[in-house]
Amino acid sequence: MAIRVNPKLINELETYGAADVQNCYHCGNCSATCPFSKEPFVIPRRSMRHLQMGLEAKLKGTLEPWLCYYCGECSQQCPRGAEPGETMMSLRRWLTSRYDLTGVARLFYRSWKAELVALILVSLATMTAFLVMGFGIGHGSLGVYAGAGALFPDHLVHLLDLGLAALLASVLLTNAFRMWWFTTGSNRNLHISLWLYVKNVFLLPYHFLTQARYRQCEKKLPWLNHLAIFLSWVTMEVLVIVLLERLHSAETDWAVHAFGYLATIGLLGGTAYALLGRARKSETHYKHTHPTDLMFLILIAGAALTGIVQHASYRWLGLDSVANIAYLIHMMFVIPLLAVQIPFSKLSHLAYRPLAMYLAAVHADALTSRQAGAAETEPVRLAA
Amino acid sequence: MARVGVFIGQFHSDSRIAFDSLASYAANLRAVEKVRLLGRRPKVDVKSLAEEIRRERLDRIVLAGDSPGYFKPAFTRALQLAGGDPGEVRLASFREHGAGVAEATDRAKAVLACAVHGVPYPLVAIPKPTVVHPATLIVGAGVAGIQTALEIADAGKKVYLVERSGTIGGHMAMFDKTFPTLDCAACILTPKMVAVNDHKMIELLTNSEVARVSGSPGAFKVEVRKRARRVDVASCVACNACTEICPVSVWSEFDSKLSHRKAIYIPFPQAVPNAYLVDPEACTWVQSGGTKCGACVKKCPKECINLDEQDVSIEIEVGNLVLATGYEMLDAAKVERYGYGKYPNVLTSLEFERMTNASGPTGGKIVTKTKKRHRRRKVEEWVADPQGPPPKSVAIIHCVGSRDTNYNSYCSRVCCMYSLKFAHLVREKLPDAACYEFYIDMRAFGKGYEEFMERIKAEGAHVVRGRTAQVIEADGQLVVKGEDIVQDRLVQYPADLVILAVGLVPAIGTAELARMLGVPRDPDGFFSELNYNGDPTYTERGGIYVAGMCQGPKDIPDTVAQASAVAAGVLRSISTGGMGNLDSLALSEIEERAATMQVRER
Repeated sequence: MAIRVNPKLINELETYGAADVQNCYHCGNCSATCPFSKEPFVIPRRSMRHLQMGLEAKLKGTLEPWLCYYCGECSQQCPRGAEPGETMMSLRRWLTSRYDLTGVARLFYRSWKAELVALILVSLATMTAFLVMGFGIGHGSLGVYAGAGALFPDHLVHLLDLGLAALLASVLLTNAFRMWWFTTGSNRNLHISLWLYVKNVFLLPYHFLTQARYRQCEKKLPWLNHLAIFLSWVTMEVLVIVLLERLHSAETDWAVHAFGYLATIGLLGGTAYALLGRARKSETHYKHTHPTDLMFLILIAGAALTGIVQHASYRWLGLDSVANIAYLIHMMFVIPLLAVQIPFSKLSHLAYRPLAMYLAAVHADALTSRQAGAAETEPVRLAA
Repeated sequence: MARVGVFIGQFHSDSRIAFDSLASYAANLRAVEKVRLLGRRPKVDVKSLAEEIRRERLDRIVLAGDSPGYFKPAFTRALQLAGGDPGEVRLASFREHGAGVAEATDRAKAVLACAVHGVPYPLVAIPKPTVVHPATLIVGAGVAGIQTALEIADAGKKVYLVERSGTIGGHMAMFDKTFPTLDCAACILTPKMVAVNDHKMIELLTNSEVARVSGSPGAFKVEVRKRARRVDVASCVACNACTEICPVSVWSEFDSKLSHRKAIYIPFPQAVPNAYLVDPEACTWVQSGGTKCGACVKKCPKECINLDEQDVSIEIEVGNLVLATGYEMLDAAKVERYGYGKYPNVLTSLEFERMTNASGPTGGKIVTKTKKRHRRRKVEEWVADPQGPPPKSVAIIHCVGSRDTNYNSYCSRVCCMYSLKFAHLVREKLPDAACYEFYIDMRAFGKGYEEFMERIKAEGAHVVRGRTAQVIEADGQLVVKGEDIVQDRLVQYPADLVILAVGLVPAIGTAELARMLGVPRDPDGFFSELNYNGDPTYTERGGIYVAGMCQGPKDIPDTVAQASAVAAGVLRSISTGGMGNLDSLALSEIEERAATMQVRER
């Protein structure tokens, strides 16, 4: 099969945030340092090589960037300052834009202004939709927050939630299918039996919920922070999609609200830690900040803060009209976060990461079964 | 006599020339008929200029200023229009002839005077040579210092060879074999060392350091501090009686801390001068202020030990200084991931060099270190015991701290080749042991080096392209982790002995010496040569030369070649005198020479 070389691949990747890829002289220090680098996935040097050579097809079909959690060990030890860790990060952005059928992700990653405009537009559209829904369809009044005559009645919001969830799921599933096709389905060298897919399927929820692989990095704090943000976010999603009625009950339902408080603390603490770290460049993985990272963090922090205002004014102060306005602003943060960032930007990794772990295990199993019995080979002696 | 018109431009606002004084000086020159200051941005109108030339009947134009050549075509055309010889437009380029610094106006006047007389300034202004003191002082007595000393002394000139340690020979004396010929290093060096000792024109100052340098090129005054050796070199016969009785034992620097020596010791049996010396840091007598021990003094049959000897300073007058201060190894413990200092069987290249040397602590046997109880100090120590178990596998890691922006970004140049040499020695002495070489790029740049590399590969060393990331210990076994780039896979090899090809840095004290002498250094810390391609042995400071590793990493052949080249420069300066100094030429002298100089007419 002919291999196409894209000589401008590095330049293209630079628009996704990569820098100094050309500095790499392939000493292999990074791959041997990386705690995740394990046959058959040699990260990150192999991808650096493919990048330098412009092997776009190989990179499109690789899972390796998704197996990296950017602990920064490779970048710190790199003798050439080639920033392999940041290259992996940029490759993940690039791959996201490749999995996305619409090309919107590509636009957003290459132009942060486009993403910002999209976020603002979705935010304004949300406002319009909610106002129409509240005043037009629901005939609610600003002074009522919950119960009969509420401005944003629970059943309508719930309907909206489910609709958005269905839309996002369909986009994500399409992208995830494309990811499978690029990395696995189209690879004719891999012979994967159905059993291998079934055998490893538990890895999907396992990695989705625990990010267990992240924990293998030498530093544990980034993993804990990521887990805190993630679990808080999942908790919030469950609360507002499944348990919205109990959340809006007249009496404080502690069985539900306790989780809400915990999740709020998790979101605020996690984003504050990340934002501060990025401002101070305290860790290697905080040294380079892509605008999409900032937008993501600011949206989460904004959603959490407006959520607190809404909760406080309804529960503690009894200011229903303030709560309604706060809720509207809250949704103007949440909906863009979900509708823009999940399918087209940073948040899409919630689907790709676990899928990559799962596919990586399937690949490894397929290769092992093929080489079953083959002993570990001695280093080949170079001919004289 | 020609009628000369002088036109002076003030093209640079930062010029230090006093133009008014220059103009009046020009007007007073005999042939000059016309002087005009052109100002900062002159507008030259050829027609009116030609008119002016015709009116003044000028037949030579001197166009003066900093870089005045830009206006030459206009003046040539004007002179042509006026009917003169277009070749008679003479430039007086101040800045180009050094009138940019102190005494700028005087230099400008001299340049102008030469132009007025129609003779080139460089032909007139040749300074008289200065008198150069025939003696030379060489700092550092490694192979570079020894070579330079022998070359100069063989030519019949006096050499003072200053060496910081107790013996000459430097690092080369520690080596076992040299690449790529696999000659024994001592067989090349020891005859030279003995020749230095016996040479009547070389005065050897071991255990000494340069303390202060004053004077100017050709006549330096150097203060050398001679640390007390506490043993009389002339009467010591190296009988070893003092060492046998000495109760203090410390790590031997010469054996890279693989073995012990006493407080009174000789670095190695072939040391030059072949006499013992006392380490005042370790000696009980010196440390106790003369109240304890003193056993060696009583034991010495020649009564040549004086433990109370004091340091002395001597002053030496020399004409030239040669820097041959050499290098140090980068501290391998800084590269933490290789575990040097943590695992006893991770050695630096210099340590392995001593281990494999037939005169070294193991008698040339390659062994893994074993734990032993020190008899007197009652502590457990890892020592290289000749009876220790030989390694089953040896890993050699290239580029430790070299070509790495975290440590030294430069290539240390010799490591690839000595690492290949190590692989040869391992395969030769332990044919059953596996030997792994981890390299990034193989720099086999010299004569016979590439062939040497092919030979080592054929001898069965596993040459792996890829740098080792880590040396770890698993169940008491050292494991070397890396990536094999060519095979595109991760590798882990067990290694009983790991040798680090540690990068080279300038010797300790290079910075102080550079400050003392005013010799600039490179960003890497090595002495800067005057010109990398053209003058690799000179420095910016006249009369001071560089030889060997102190100018930058290089192998033995290059070091010896550079050392000999330094000797040529030194001898030239002694025989013809120094370059002289243009500033020492008086203006009147230049004027007179310019006026009388016969310049061939075209």
